[in-house]
Amino acid sequence: MLTVNEITKSFNRKFALDSVSMEIKKGEIYGLLGPNGAGKTTLIRIINQIIQQDKGTIRFDGKLMTEEHLRHIGYLPEERGLYKTMRVLDQLIFLAEIRGLNKSEAKRNAMFWLEKFQIQDWSKKRIEELSKGMAQKIQFIASVLHEPEMLILDEPLSGFDPVNVELILNELKSFKEQGRTIVLSTHNMRSVEEICDRAALIHASKKIAEDTVWNLREAQKQGEFSIRFKGNMISFANSLWIDFELIDKKEISDSRFETIVKMRRGNKIDDLLKALMGNVEIEAIEERFPSMQEVFIELTKEKEVEDEK
Amino acid sequence: MRNSWLISKRELKERISNSAFLWMLFIGPIVSLFLIYLLFKAGDEGKSTLRILIVDPINLMDTKIVAQEGKTIDYYFTDKYIEVEEFRDSKKYKEFDALMEVNEKILMNKKAFIFYRENPSPDLKMQLKFQLERRVEEVMIEQFTRLSVDEFRQIKQPLNVDFRNVYDPKNEASDMEGWVGFVFGAIIVLFVLLFGMTILRSTTREKSNRIVEVLLASVKPSQLMLGKITGIGFSALIQIIGWIILISLGLFVFRQTIFPDLFDLSNWEGIQVSSDVQQQIIDSTPVGRYNQFIELIYDRINFGYMLVHFLIFFVLAYYFYGAFFSAIGATAGTESDGQQFLFPVLFILGFSLYAGYYAIILPDSQFTQWIQFIPFTSPVIVMVKIAQGYPEGTYYYSIISTLILVISTYFLLLVSGRLYKNGILQFGHHVRIRNLVNWLKKS
Repeated sequence: MLTVNEITKSFNRKFALDSVSMEIKKGEIYGLLGPNGAGKTTLIRIINQIIQQDKGTIRFDGKLMTEEHLRHIGYLPEERGLYKTMRVLDQLIFLAEIRGLNKSEAKRNAMFWLEKFQIQDWSKKRIEELSKGMAQKIQFIASVLHEPEMLILDEPLSGFDPVNVELILNELKSFKEQGRTIVLSTHNMRSVEEICDRAALIHASKKIAEDTVWNLREAQKQGEFSIRFKGNMISFANSLWIDFELIDKKEISDSRFETIVKMRRGNKIDDLLKALMGNVEIEAIEERFPSMQEVFIELTKEKEVEDEK
Repeated sequence: MRNSWLISKRELKERISNSAFLWMLFIGPIVSLFLIYLLFKAGDEGKSTLRILIVDPINLMDTKIVAQEGKTIDYYFTDKYIEVEEFRDSKKYKEFDALMEVNEKILMNKKAFIFYRENPSPDLKMQLKFQLERRVEEVMIEQFTRLSVDEFRQIKQPLNVDFRNVYDPKNEASDMEGWVGFVFGAIIVLFVLLFGMTILRSTTREKSNRIVEVLLASVKPSQLMLGKITGIGFSALIQIIGWIILISLGLFVFRQTIFPDLFDLSNWEGIQVSSDVQQQIIDSTPVGRYNQFIELIYDRINFGYMLVHFLIFFVLAYYFYGAFFSAIGATAGTESDGQQFLFPVLFILGFSLYAGYYAIILPDSQFTQWIQFIPFTSPVIVMVKIAQGYPEGTYYYSIISTLILVISTYFLLLVSGRLYKNGILQFGHHVRIRNLVNWLKKS
């Protein structure tokens, strides 16, 4: 659906993006990850034609991206902004109109979303009368009001309480079910794990990884297993001997522990089970995949070490 | 184009729904009308009566001043000496507003004192002085010459040297018309300044509250800039048209009700002289000048013609300067940063007013000829020139000025659009000339 090809952009002779390419497929939720200042917002702005790239192309549905395509994109920038003295409904109508809707469509859709979020009572309020979270909701509505095929959301969950985070995540899932494409730039790694199909990690202006969320996590797995058992901790530790390494332990109740064990010498889960059986009563065991948070940190560190070399 | 229109509609709606806009729409004309009223009224002040007691023990004045005393000043004569303290304190003199003593010395040293209780208006003083002077003159003619009063005045009449322009031999144009043009030009400058500041504030506000990023995802920077300037310009136009209608209505009401007799010279008294002399007196007295002002406002200025040019130059000047304000707002890192860069624009606007004044004083100078074509000053100069009346065969100068202003505005909007585009998403920085040059170079 969206092909980003070799995009390069520099500010004051410093690369903000260095030959970044990616292919975002129709109907997927694509996570755009990276530390602050990595170049994510620059890429998003280039896709939205807010700024021009120095090199590279962007294609939308196979065609070189033009102003016309912007009507099919909903954009929620990281830096939220609304006209503070404007009333909620007028603001939504205005923002939908500049995205190509006529006034009656804009009004109908605005009312639909206000009712959906059960905030129709706010329609006559000025933005300055709303709390930050309330204004965030309005901004989210403004980005989806014109029923775009693709949504580009830069930190859509920041500033929301857990209830509203859930509300927005559910909305995003429902967009995906409707076949719409979502590009999600976020530091909320839990949401990436929960809803993203694929993700790319941008670091220091370059794309350093791109894959499905599962593959990214799997690629970073360290052969660690999480084990919950009942019994004696000393027996457990002794049975590991030198073939396994006890990384972490936590007593969760009387004689019941949760531990993390790392494989050594190419041992597998069967070997671990054999070593433990008879010494402790195993209640649960599962291979431990790193969280996206850990993947993010690990990949970023790797890149920094590489750059230092 | 549609997006620019939507942006301008939003801007217009925001402005006109602002209570300050409505206040200015009504308060501005009311204040202007009040000032005009004061000017009219100042010329009308002499109608209150002043009672003067003239102490004339030797009967020098023969108990008369001017053939017919006016309605404004009443003279009373006495041959009894009265001290100032006595006049001030005694009940029997309370009915008199001022005391004047006349004796034979007045013919020699030409000095007279008038002791007043309340300081009379400058206009009243002028009338009083004029009437006394003429009476003393009559006494002197009688005592020292064998001429009749009319003969003497004919001789006394100074040579009236009137400087006239070869292109305007009938002296149809005058400073007064030029000043009316200047007022039109000043209104352009005032509105450009007021609404230019609105453009600046609105742009920096959009920048600081970051909505600009949402807008730019749908609207080109140049469309946003143009829409904003146009929307705010519409509100300025509404304001200006409101002012024009309300002030015109006010002037009409003034003429019909409060000042119906201002043109009637017989209404102001004491002048029993030939029409030429009368005209000179008119020119030299405040009352006369105010009547000229009224005549100018109601009769001599072709407001329809002026207004058409005013609207053309207002729109062009607004876009021309609006491009500056817009670029400053877009490139400024902070609101205070923008105000620094505002100074040169304010200086230029101030200079354009000075240039207008210069064009009134020296309408035919080489400098005036040039500045009427320079887009920074042309809106004011052309208004002055149009009010003064272009010399025959030179009206095309105004068309050249207009064309230069149109072309300059177009290029300035392009340049400003480029600065706007490259500066609008820069936040929290300090603008340096180097940045501006870089942004100008960028496509």
